[in-house]
Amino acid sequence: MAKEPVRVLVTGAAGQIGYALVPMIARGIMLGADQPVILHMLDIPFAAEALNGVKMELVDAAFPLLKGVVATTDVVEACTGVNVAVMVGGFPRKEGMERKDVMSKNVSIYKSQASALEQHAAPNCKVLVVANPANTNALILKEFAPSIPAKNITCLTRLDHNRALGQISERLSVQVSDVKNVIIWGNHSSTQYPDVNHATVGDKPVRELVKDDEWLNGEFITTVQQRGAAIIKARKLSSALSAASAACDHIRDWVLGTPEGLWVSMGVYSDGSYNVPAGVIYSFPVTCKNGEWTIVQGLAIDEFSRKKLDLTGAELTEEKELAYSCLS
Amino acid sequence: MQKTSEDDTKHPTFRGVRMRSWGKWVSEIREPRKKSRIWLETYPTAEMAARAHDVGALAIKGCSAYLNFPELAKELPLPASMSPKEIQAATSRAAASTRIINSSFNTEMLSCQWTGGIEAIVARLELPSRLSWFLGRVSRFLALYSMAKDPVRVLVTGAAGQIGYALVPMIARGVMLGPDQPVILHMLDIEPAAEALTGVRMELVDAAFPLLRDVVVTTDVTVACKGVNIAVMVGGFPRKEGMERKDVMSKNVSIYKAQASALEKQAAPDCKVLVVANPANTNALILKEFAPSIPEKNITCLTRLDHNRALGQLSERLKIHVSEVKNVIIWGNHSSTQYPDVNHATVTPANGEEKPVRSVVADDNWLNTEFITMVQQRGAAIIKARKLSSALSAASAACDHIRDWVVGTPKGTWVSMGVYSDGSYGIQPGVIYSYPVTCDKGQWSIVQGLKIDDFSRQKMDATAKELVEEKTLAYSCLN
Repeated sequence: MAKEPVRVLVTGAAGQIGYALVPMIARGIMLGADQPVILHMLDIPFAAEALNGVKMELVDAAFPLLKGVVATTDVVEACTGVNVAVMVGGFPRKEGMERKDVMSKNVSIYKSQASALEQHAAPNCKVLVVANPANTNALILKEFAPSIPAKNITCLTRLDHNRALGQISERLSVQVSDVKNVIIWGNHSSTQYPDVNHATVGDKPVRELVKDDEWLNGEFITTVQQRGAAIIKARKLSSALSAASAACDHIRDWVLGTPEGLWVSMGVYSDGSYNVPAGVIYSFPVTCKNGEWTIVQGLAIDEFSRKKLDLTGAELTEEKELAYSCLS
Repeated sequence: MQKTSEDDTKHPTFRGVRMRSWGKWVSEIREPRKKSRIWLETYPTAEMAARAHDVGALAIKGCSAYLNFPELAKELPLPASMSPKEIQAATSRAAASTRIINSSFNTEMLSCQWTGGIEAIVARLELPSRLSWFLGRVSRFLALYSMAKDPVRVLVTGAAGQIGYALVPMIARGVMLGPDQPVILHMLDIEPAAEALTGVRMELVDAAFPLLRDVVVTTDVTVACKGVNIAVMVGGFPRKEGMERKDVMSKNVSIYKAQASALEKQAAPDCKVLVVANPANTNALILKEFAPSIPEKNITCLTRLDHNRALGQLSERLKIHVSEVKNVIIWGNHSSTQYPDVNHATVTPANGEEKPVRSVVADDNWLNTEFITMVQQRGAAIIKARKLSSALSAASAACDHIRDWVVGTPKGTWVSMGVYSDGSYGIQPGVIYSYPVTCDKGQWSIVQGLKIDDFSRQKMDATAKELVEEKTLAYSCLN
C-alpha cells in the first residue's frame, strides 16, 4: 500500500542549492525510498522563468516518487499544505561578503514568510532554515510565526557537522561513516564550535586516535569554521551540493529518527541547556525519535569548550539584537 | 573436521578455496611441512574464503605467502613482532579500519554461526598461541569486511561542470548503482577547471556520504581512467543558447579520440561506457573506433533523457503519474531528428488494465506532430528557460541508464539506449543508434520484432541518415 505523499517546500528553488536539493528530494533521499513527495518550489518573480525551467526538468526526469510539482512566486500558494519547509531563499554569500552584510536583507524576508507559513502550512510542519544567517533567520521566523511550535523551527548546522566528520575521516584515513558523534555548538558562522570530545571511531575516542590535541583544538576547528569560505574560493560559488545533502540528512534524521547510539547537530530553539543563552536558535547535539528532536544532556564540558560555547552564544545574542534593530 | 569429498569443487582462481556441493565456500590452508590441508572456515562467498586463506597464509609464511588479494594484504596491519602488545595493537587497528558497513554485525554474533570455531582449527596449526589468537581476530575482521560489496569505480569526465555537479552526489548516494553498492569516484576535468574540481572534491568530503569510499580528482586522463568499471563521459563543450550541435562536433571529436585511447589502456575489463556530451552518438562512435579493444557493446550514448522526457510529456498530457506510462521508444540520434515513438507504449493506471497510449491519448495528430517536436526540442526549451542546459535531468537520466544496464530492466519494460547498431530494424550498421532495449545480467539486448509503420519508417530512416552524415563529418574533422 503506497504512502500518502508528503508536501515539501523549497524556497529559493531556482538557485544553486535548490537545483541540487530538488532531485535529492525527488529520489527519496530526504524522506526515504518509499515516501512519495509533492514539491512546492518558491522563488522571486525575477527568477520565475528559471523556476519554470527547473519544473520542466523535474518532469523530464520521470521520478517515480515525485507525485506533483507546484512552481510559484506566490508565497501563499507555496506554503499551502506543506509538511516540510526548507527555506533556502535569501541572498547568497559571495566571495568577500561577511554574513552580517546579508542579515538585514534576509531578516525582512523571514518576517513575511513566517506569516505565510503560519497561516497556510499543514499542522506540525517541520521547518529547516538554510539561508544565512541561518540561526537568526530561523529565530525571526519563529518570532513572527507564534502558532508554529518553537520545536518545529530549526536551522542547518548538519553541514558543519558533516564537514567535521569529513575532516576527522581524512585525518585518520578511515571511512567517514565510522566517525560518530562530533558536535557543532552554536551559530552556523565562524564562531561555531566543532567539538570532538565525545566523538568516536568504532569504540575509541577520536582524541585518542588522532593523538594531536593541538590540531584538534586549533587547525581542525578553524578548518571546519571557515570551510564555507574555502569552498567559495575554489568554486567561485558557495556550497550547494554539500548543503543540499546536509539538508536532506537533517530532515531525514528528524523525521525517521537517529540510529541507536548516534547523535547529530541541529540548530534548535534553546531552552538554556548547557548554560547557553535561551531564546536563540543554538546548535546542539540531538537525538531524534518519532519525529521529535531531544537535546543530548549530561555531556561533560571542559574549560576550553566552555569558552567556545559562550563565545558563539554571545554572537547569537548580538545577532538577535542586530536583527531586531533592522526590523525597527 | 570436515573431509574433502568428491562433490567439492576447487575454485578456478582463488587458492585455498573450495566449494561444497551445497554451495558454501570453504577456506583451507596447508599445514606447515605437511601435505594435508586444514579447514579454516566456511563462508557464503568465495571472496570471503579467499581472504580467510590470505590471513592464514600471511601468518604462517609471512612475506613469501601466496595471496589471493595481495593489494588487500598491504592494508592488513600485521604485528611488527610476536609480542602481545604488538599483536593487540595490530588487531585494534584492523578493527578500527572501516570497511565494515553493517553495524548490526559483531564478532560474537559471527563466531556463533561458524562451525568448528576458529580457535580449535587454528590450534591444530600448532602456532604460537598469541598468533593463533591474532589470526582469529583478523579473520573475523576480514569476514566482516567481506560482507560489504567491493566498491565500483565510476569515472565522470567534465566533473567540474554543471552536469558533473548534479551527477556526483547522485552516484555517491547510490542512485546509480543501488543503496548497498559502495563507489569510488574518479573525476576528470581540464586544467583551467582544476581548482573548481578540487572544490567539488571538498564538497564530496563535506557531505559525509556513507557509500563513497574514495574520490580521485585529476586533470590527467590516464590517472582518471585507471581501473574504472563505469565511465560517464560528460566532458565536452556545453551547448549554449543559439548554438547548433554540429558547431560543437569538431571540438568534441578530437577529445573523444584521445580519451578512447586512455580508456582502452587503463579501464577495468568490461568497463561500461556512457557518452553524454553532445553530439553524443557520434562522440560514442569515435570513442568506439579508437578503442578497439573495448567491446563495442560496452559503448553507449544517452538517449534515456529523451526517453524520460517522452514519458513526462505523456504523463502531463494524460494527467497521470509518470510511473504509469512505459515503453516509449527513442529511435536514432540524440538530436532534433530523434524519433519518439509511442506505437508500443502503454498506460497502466494503478489497479487498472494496460492500454496502448495511442488509444488513451486519442489524438494521433498531437502524437505525430507536437508531441514529437516537443520531445525533440526540449533541450533548447530548457536552455531558454534556465539560460543553462539541462543538468539535473541529464544527470538523473545517466543514473537511470547505468542502473538499468547493470541491475536489469523490470519485467515487461524496456528503455532506450544509444548502442552500436547491428542492422536491426533495417538501420545501417556501424553507427551508434538509439533502440528499445531490455537489460539483464549486465547486458543490453535490442527488443526485436516490433511493428514499424510507414510513418515510423520514414522517421527512423531520417535520423539514421543524419547519423551517417555526422559520421562522415566527424571523420573529415579528424583528417
